Amino acid sequence: MISLTDFLIVSAALFCIGLYMIVSKHNAIQILIGIELMLNAANLNLVAFGKYDKLNNGGQMFALFAIVLAAATTAVALAIILNVYKKYKTIDPDRIDKLRD
Amino acid sequence: MILQMNILTLLIFTPVLFGLIIALMPSAWRGSFKYITLLGTLVQLGMCIWIYCNFKSGAAFGGINHEEQFQFVQKLPWINLDLGTMGKMQMDYFVGIDGISIALLLMSSVVMVIAALASWEITSNLKGFFVLFLILDMAVMGVFCSLDFFLFYIFYELMLLPLYFLIGMWGGARREYAAIKFFLYTLFGSVFMLLVMIGLYLSVKDPATGNHTFNMVQMMNPANYQPGSVFALISHQTIFGMPARTVGFVILFIAFAIKVPVVPLHTWLPDAHVEAPTPVSIILAGVLLKVGGYGIIRVCVSIFPEIASANAYWLGLLGIISILYGALNALAQKDLKRMIAYSSVSHMGFVLLGIASLTTEGISGAVMQMVSHGFLSTMLFFLVGVVYNRVHDRGVNHFRGLASIMPKYTVFVMIAFFASLGLPGFSAFIGEAFTLVGAFKSSSVNGLLPYWMAACGSLGILLGAAYFLWTLQRMFFGKLSLKGGTVWRTALTDLNLREKITLAPLALVALALGIMPWLVFDKINTSVLAFVQFMHLK
Amino acid sequence: MDNFLQAIDTLTIRFALTAVLLPLLAFVFNFLLPGRKSQLAGWISTVAILFSTVLSISVFAKVWNTNHVVHQQVIWFTIGNTVVYAGVLLNNLSVLMLLLVSVIALPVHIYSTAYMKHDGNLNRYFAYLSLFCFSMLALVVVDNLVLFYAFWELVGFSSYLLIGFWFTRDKAVQANKKAFIMNRIGDIGLLTAVIILFTQFHTFDIDKLFGSGNFVSYSGIHNGIWSLWGNLPNNVGGVWVRGNFVQLPAIWQYIAFGGIFLAVAAKSAQFPLHTWLPDAMEGPTSVSALIHAATMVAAGVFLLARVYPLFNDIELTTLAIVGCFTAFMAASIALTQTDLKRILAYSTISQLGYMVMAMGIGAYTSSLFHLVTHAFFKCLLFLVAGIVIHQMQHIKEDNELDIDPQNINNMGGLRKKLPFTFVVAVIGALALIGLPFTSGYLSKDGILIKSFEWTDGRSGILKVIPVFAIITTWLTAFYVTRLIVKVFFGELRLLNIRAGINLHLSDGNWQYKLPLALLVIGCFFPLFSINPFLYEQAWIFKGLSNAGGLERDNVYHTIVPIGVNILSVLVMYAAYAIYIKRRNNPFPQKGVLFNLSFNAWYFDTVYNKLIVKPVLLLCRSAFWFDRRVVDGFVKLIAKVGIALSKLADWTDRNIIDGFLHLLVAVVKGIGNFARMFQGGKVQYYLFSMLVIILALFILKVVI
Repeated sequence: MISLTDFLIVSAALFCIGLYMIVSKHNAIQILIGIELMLNAANLNLVAFGKYDKLNNGGQMFALFAIVLAAATTAVALAIILNVYKKYKTIDPDRIDKLRD
Repeated sequence: MILQMNILTLLIFTPVLFGLIIALMPSAWRGSFKYITLLGTLVQLGMCIWIYCNFKSGAAFGGINHEEQFQFVQKLPWINLDLGTMGKMQMDYFVGIDGISIALLLMSSVVMVIAALASWEITSNLKGFFVLFLILDMAVMGVFCSLDFFLFYIFYELMLLPLYFLIGMWGGARREYAAIKFFLYTLFGSVFMLLVMIGLYLSVKDPATGNHTFNMVQMMNPANYQPGSVFALISHQTIFGMPARTVGFVILFIAFAIKVPVVPLHTWLPDAHVEAPTPVSIILAGVLLKVGGYGIIRVCVSIFPEIASANAYWLGLLGIISILYGALNALAQKDLKRMIAYSSVSHMGFVLLGIASLTTEGISGAVMQMVSHGFLSTMLFFLVGVVYNRVHDRGVNHFRGLASIMPKYTVFVMIAFFASLGLPGFSAFIGEAFTLVGAFKSSSVNGLLPYWMAACGSLGILLGAAYFLWTLQRMFFGKLSLKGGTVWRTALTDLNLREKITLAPLALVALALGIMPWLVFDKINTSVLAFVQFMHLK
Repeated sequence: MDNFLQAIDTLTIRFALTAVLLPLLAFVFNFLLPGRKSQLAGWISTVAILFSTVLSISVFAKVWNTNHVVHQQVIWFTIGNTVVYAGVLLNNLSVLMLLLVSVIALPVHIYSTAYMKHDGNLNRYFAYLSLFCFSMLALVVVDNLVLFYAFWELVGFSSYLLIGFWFTRDKAVQANKKAFIMNRIGDIGLLTAVIILFTQFHTFDIDKLFGSGNFVSYSGIHNGIWSLWGNLPNNVGGVWVRGNFVQLPAIWQYIAFGGIFLAVAAKSAQFPLHTWLPDAMEGPTSVSALIHAATMVAAGVFLLARVYPLFNDIELTTLAIVGCFTAFMAASIALTQTDLKRILAYSTISQLGYMVMAMGIGAYTSSLFHLVTHAFFKCLLFLVAGIVIHQMQHIKEDNELDIDPQNINNMGGLRKKLPFTFVVAVIGALALIGLPFTSGYLSKDGILIKSFEWTDGRSGILKVIPVFAIITTWLTAFYVTRLIVKVFFGELRLLNIRAGINLHLSDGNWQYKLPLALLVIGCFFPLFSINPFLYEQAWIFKGLSNAGGLERDNVYHTIVPIGVNILSVLVMYAAYAIYIKRRNNPFPQKGVLFNLSFNAWYFDTVYNKLIVKPVLLLCRSAFWFDRRVVDGFVKLIAKVGIALSKLADWTDRNIIDGFLHLLVAVVKGIGNFARMFQGGKVQYYLFSMLVIILALFILKVVI
């Protein structure tokens, strides 16, 4: 029997992988993937905790919202990445440090 | 306040008037400046002679510590600030003379005339020179006349400034060095004098008005000191663990000793003399040094009499050291002007010795020596100027046998040299002999100086003969031989009329004072007696 | 009656003053006389001194032996409570000196008019000469010590001028400097003595101090204090002085003596200050005759006579020893000198030594007597020397020889060329030796006899004094004979150098002869005493000694003159024989004694090494000290000041201003440090946030 704990573990593992990718990758796309992983880890949590709300299925509902929103943000993010690439000829966030000043 | 004309005031401020005239005249008329200056000094000399002739002597005109016994007095309130609870600030314009001043006053005015005549050699920036010259003249007269310490101090400091420029701008090769050395040296002394002056001001109250006062005559009266004040006799205040009055005396003495100058505070003198132009050398030696001696008598010893008599031994010792040390140094000089500068140190040592003896003979001798040295050093420096103007060299070894080409010059040099070395018949003999008499007598009269000091002092007379005669022998006698060859031979012409007119009166005055010393002694005697009596009262 | 006497006194004083002031007038006149060479100058001075002489004779006649001291004074000046008088004091001593000086000066003036005729600075010469006469005459008549000192030094000054008259000669200028400085040593001594006497007795008056029965004679040394002793008579001093009497420690009495001794030694060329006199011969010979033989050098002896009552026995003995030593030393030097004038100069020193010795042994009158007679014959000899030198100079110039006209080795045989000069020279020489019938015999006799009497009561070593005095007499006889023989006898030695030189020599005109004739009178006895053998009968002796009558009470009075003179004659013959009979000099020209004598006992060398050089060294080191130490100290202060200001400048820039800079730097540093965190790297920000959150979390958990 798969228990809630197993979902949480998988979700935590996903979250950690995503976080790691965000911090360590030198490619904006990969960082975007990391973000998606983290979002999905959150979705997994929402769905997993959804069994406590059998009446409204709030968990699943929120997960759906999140997935839609994630798709939208990803589209925006990709557009930004494209523009960044156009301007800086790179998508390595380390190289793009104009925020410094 | 009634502004009435007083002869001393006129005397002091006449030079300024002439200075103003010169300052206002256009520079195109520069040729006349020297005549105007000469006229100014002559007018002043005339006034001094009038004062001398009308100067009364006698028991009622002793002066020193009796304000009413001074003559030609003018006393005007000058700065009277009401300081509320601190009382009123009382500074007076207070001038007057007694026997100690009169001789020096007359001597100074003669020296000023001579210095004006010597100024013919000045060729650059005439307006500045003569204006400064006349300001200096005013300050000198002011110092000898003022009886208010504040006024005295102002004139005293006012002498420095013109001199600084006169040496620094019209001097020789190292003039800046000499001028700064002279200025700082003298300022060093007088700045501390300012402190003592303020201390005295705060200690003394004028009994008539009840205010603090700068009146020097009041400062001589122990009753005027406020109980518990710094310099009060009875309160025994101390400064740095030493009695306050001793400290005050020492500081004043140092200030004046620099002017005299007393060894070891003399080193500004040779430099200043060597670099100064002739008229300034004349004023320096003739008048400035006397201000030191006068200050010691009038200010230093009179205000702190008990300290002076307690330390007379040291004063006498310094005098002896100056006499011998100055003479030895003079003997070693190769520059004529420097030799004469050191001889001044030696001769002024007699003044200090005479003052230290605190006997009538010693003090009269000291005043006589000051007057005599005023004339003789003027003559000596003028004579050096004569040869320096012609060839711009003063090295004793660079000349030989001058007597054969400049006989008249040599006659005056011999008169000046022999008069300076104390040949009887000239004034220096009277001065030196009676200084020594006083110094020797001191031991039996007041027990201040030991007998041997007079004996040592007389050695200075011997050394004086040595350096003057050696110079005569090297420069003036023997076969003619000049460092500059024929160029010098043609340049070295004998005295011209102006130089003769300048030198002859000096020689005659020195001779007259040697044969008729009463010309000085009769005028100063009462004051000297009063002074000695005043010293013994304490 | 009193008024009458007073009037006479006043007249006498006026005469004396006129006698003194006439030469001064001549000096002023000659000084102002235009031009340099005017025969008028000579006559002005000569006429002035002629009138002085006449007036002196009249003053002398009025005062001499009247036992009346003419003394008048006026107030000169007042200094404090001390009134200094100026006045004239005429007693036997001063009128004698007044007369002597003017009488000697007159022939010298006449002689000078001829002797200096060709000199380019005739006016100056006579001006100086008159100045000297004025000072000397004034010196002998003044009544107080201040004036005495003044004229004492003026005499030295005029001597300085005259020695250096030919100022282009280096030797002359060196000599006059030396003379003046050595005299100055004496002057200081005299000044010190005057000051001591003034302090002790409160007066400068010579009569009050040393007159008969006055202060000095009543003072003496008691218990180490110099005080009055005995009962002072009422007429002495008066109340004023007694009330003010100061008692100095005894040492000051001796110092006063020492000062006077120095003065005497300097002026009268006694050991140790005698070396200036031979050098002073660089002046014109007529000057040497007047000043350095007859008058000025005698001033020292005159001073001794003036202050005689001051001395006590020890001091007198010192004088005797020094005088005797000087006499012997100078005579021994004179033996070997070759310069005519130097021989005479040493002879003068020797004779002055006699006079000082005579003062020391108490032969007061003989000393002054010798002073007078010596003035005549020594002046005579110098004038003779002048003529001889003049003639030698002529030979030198006529023949263009390179010789020293004063060297006696070049002379000889002049007695035929200059007969008159020769005769007077021999007379002068005999008087100097002191043979009978001359005036020198009378005066020298008195000294020698007295010296034997003096030793009678004294201990052994002092007995040497008369012995040396007599030896000196024989030395004198020898060198004088040598001089005369070398100059006047034999053949002119110049002919050995170059034969056939033309000689036209002569005694000169009356201006040369008259002075010699006048002076030669003073070399014979009749001017002084009717009896040629008894010095006690000389009028000078009688006039000056207080005790009257003859005191031929011992054997010395017979033995001494006879013995001395017999031997003197023998010595003279020996000298004559040596220098005439044998042509070549029998004495070796080397050896210790010869060198000692020839180099004047090495005094000059020793003084140069021991005194002159060290003094100059002292001067240089004093100057070094002044430049390096005293001025160095001032400069050090200046340097310290500059260093301090530089330090202040450094501090200002680096510490005070530096603090502000530091503050700025710190703020900037912190800012920069904070900026480091804002790298612009998004991942880094995230990472940081993560770390911080973790840290907070861990902290939360742990604590």
